[in-house]
Amino acid sequence: MSRPERAEPGPALAATLRALRAGGFEEAEVYAKSGRSRRLELGPGGPVAGFAQERGWMVRASGARASFAASGSGEPEPGGPWPEPDGEPFRLPDPAAAEPWSAPEDLDAPLVGESEGMRLLESLGTALATELPGARLTSAALEDGAAEHALASSRGVEARWRGRLAALRVEAAAPAGRGKPPATAAIYLAEREARRFHPAALARRLADRLAVTAAGAEASLDRGELLLAPAVGARLLAGLLPLLVGPDATALVAELRDRRGRIASSELTVIDDGRLPGGALAAPCDGEGVPTRAVTLLEEGEHRQPLLAWHQARSAGTAAAGGARASGCSRRASWRDLPAPGPTHLYVRPRRGISAGSLLAGLARGYYLLDAAGAGRFDLPGDRFELPVCGFAVAGGRAVAPVSRALLCGGIGALLRGIQAVARDLAFLPLDGMIGAPSLLAGGLELRPTGG
Amino acid sequence: MPFSLLDRAAVSRTLSQIAERPGDLADAYFERVEEVELAGGGRAPWIRVRREEGLAVRLVRGGRTWLASRDEISPAAFADAVRRVARALPSASYSEPRLPVAPWEGPPAASELADFPSAVARAVRDQRVAFPTDLTVRRHRRWVQAVAGPLVPEPEREEFYSVTAELPWGRYGALLPRLDGAAAAAVAGALVERFRGRGASPPEPFRGVLVLGPAAAAVLLHEAVAHSLEADVLAASGDPELAVGVRLGPETLSVLDDPGTAPEGVRRRTDDEGREVRRRWLLQDGQVLQPLADARWAMASEVLFPGAGRRGGRHVPPGPRSTHLELTPGELDDEELMAGAEGGLWAAEAERGALDPLSGVFRLDLPLARRIRGGGAADPVGPSRLTGRIADLLPAVAGIGATARAAGAGWCAKGGRKLPVWATCPALRLEGVEVAAWG
Repeated sequence: MSRPERAEPGPALAATLRALRAGGFEEAEVYAKSGRSRRLELGPGGPVAGFAQERGWMVRASGARASFAASGSGEPEPGGPWPEPDGEPFRLPDPAAAEPWSAPEDLDAPLVGESEGMRLLESLGTALATELPGARLTSAALEDGAAEHALASSRGVEARWRGRLAALRVEAAAPAGRGKPPATAAIYLAEREARRFHPAALARRLADRLAVTAAGAEASLDRGELLLAPAVGARLLAGLLPLLVGPDATALVAELRDRRGRIASSELTVIDDGRLPGGALAAPCDGEGVPTRAVTLLEEGEHRQPLLAWHQARSAGTAAAGGARASGCSRRASWRDLPAPGPTHLYVRPRRGISAGSLLAGLARGYYLLDAAGAGRFDLPGDRFELPVCGFAVAGGRAVAPVSRALLCGGIGALLRGIQAVARDLAFLPLDGMIGAPSLLAGGLELRPTGG
Repeated sequence: MPFSLLDRAAVSRTLSQIAERPGDLADAYFERVEEVELAGGGRAPWIRVRREEGLAVRLVRGGRTWLASRDEISPAAFADAVRRVARALPSASYSEPRLPVAPWEGPPAASELADFPSAVARAVRDQRVAFPTDLTVRRHRRWVQAVAGPLVPEPEREEFYSVTAELPWGRYGALLPRLDGAAAAAVAGALVERFRGRGASPPEPFRGVLVLGPAAAAVLLHEAVAHSLEADVLAASGDPELAVGVRLGPETLSVLDDPGTAPEGVRRRTDDEGREVRRRWLLQDGQVLQPLADARWAMASEVLFPGAGRRGGRHVPPGPRSTHLELTPGELDDEELMAGAEGGLWAAEAERGALDPLSGVFRLDLPLARRIRGGGAADPVGPSRLTGRIADLLPAVAGIGATARAAGAGWCAKGGRKLPVWATCPALRLEGVEVAAWG
């Protein structure tokens, strides 16, 4: 372990910080972000190519009795002007030791070009029409961006880091038969750079969704074994975040412990890692300059600790938080937003050597659920959840009939304890942070018709 | 006005250099935004201020659009943005017009925000109830200068307020043109209604009469009429021009969009593309007359007219959106609207609505309603949802109230681009619609 390399934050930040301290703000932090992004869209209005250059800052400052926050475009002016502080006083994090960090090489890759990005979207449309005749993209948007962040605080935190993020949102439709509204499907994905999106694979995924939605029968009430594709697993994990993140998680988890103290199947290990190699949001520190690290939240079914930011661990008290160690997990959505704790890359640990195909082959009778059609509802105190899904009925390890308009339902505890196997095909979705799951074999849950 | 000294003529001349082909559309957009927030609930920091400005340059040619935007207003930033959207090769250098922008005025202050939570608390107490209201109040200001080729309109300014309340039984939000006693009373009334209806059971699914108060009617019309008649939404399933003349509702239903009659503070003479706004009849006597269009959609059409171009910010292109909806009043009073509707529902407010442009399926979420008994609104009913297809829903309008009032303002987040929308509406009676529990 070592102290993170001190990174000079830049003259404007340093001058602003000095001015704030001279003005009586013992706790002061200046954050600045500059970035550029290319956005390419296909939609009813024709192709749109956009290029944005963003530059902004945020100041948080607290004296002994009052505080304020301010943000703006461009660079901060050391003299403000600042609003009259009237918030509660607060404190900022101290500098902390961190593991060494090597910036990923692809941070330096150029942004996707206009023609290159448009070709990606157009080839996705072409591939979709080939996979499923009659299917078409109704809208597609690709955004590829790079940003530099700098932060300095009166407590001595000084950090600079860079990020890359590409996001792809695609909506598609296909005819569903005479008198029926068209079947629709959407995907939203994020990667570190746009060149990681593969049109052919995405087209197959969209075509599967559209075909199932167009031809799928409404589910009937059934209980068999369920193979949950990564998109379904990630949605379920997102619904369970209150059990894994924040100071209230420990109390919620207590309700789910069995006699041996476990809350989940021994197959289930859940980790949050702000510096996950290859992760879309990987960075050496969070939005407050606190070093990121991997934190095991659930290990082989046993709850280890919730994901906590430094101030949450401090105010909860280490004992009350189950001996939890804080990690750098405060995210800033933009330079306009205050940092807020949350997952960065939170995922179910995959199991090497187990393919989704082998789990499907072993499914005598049940369902292979491909995707979630929405966010679902999770009633943690009431121990119930439901998630709209679509997929296939399975017999003898083979898909036999498409199923749509289905709700995956059950108890929260039953879901956690019912995971029988975990595959190797980890995939992330941009939900609340990047949430990831591999294919999961689950039992003890129900499939019901949506009634819609 | 921060943009009064911009050399708009020089900006216009530079734009004419990139609009080099017949039919090209080139425009520039300068924007300044200030938001002051006073957060409730003792969260720190209590006061939060955001001040930002920037510009965007756009070129539309042959159905394609190029947009370049910057978080900065300067001659160099403008010239760079022009260079990025220009199609000339090799890239030319463009003149850098004088773009002096007035400095921000002093430290941001908003004393009116500080007084509002206590005014709401007093208004709640006046109704002889008491409960914690964790109010966050914001003041939103925006200054806009659009330059579209030779069109150089005067700059526009908007100012309004928003309030959100975190209640133990749900979240409440509203947009307000001003923070005065009437606004405090209106917010308090809505909060007390939520308090009195807390814990009420949702309704059993039914098909019958639903009477929407002015605020709920405004949300319905925003989704079912305004969104469904935006040129880009219409284009998702066909030619937008073909919508003109289609009958969507009964002859009593006439809806228009008029940014020029919006509440003072958000009233507009021109849209975010610098085009004059118009009193636009979306539905006249139940028939589609003028879909919402911006310059991009109007440039290739003799049927669609610009003037409804709105921008969620400089980093995104404009699109056709409504600003201020008006529903022409009918002749019914509240008693007549609820007559013969025993067992139906009366809903003062809608939390949100959504429209699937491809299927035409529509939903309206009602956080609280009241059962209609004895010709009036009686016991509270928990969260419910109205669902249906536009083609079935608007013909279900069976009665329109006689008194229109400013109501139903809220945020619209179509395509992730958040914009304030306003309305002046009377109440509305729907018959034979499907309502079920929600949440």
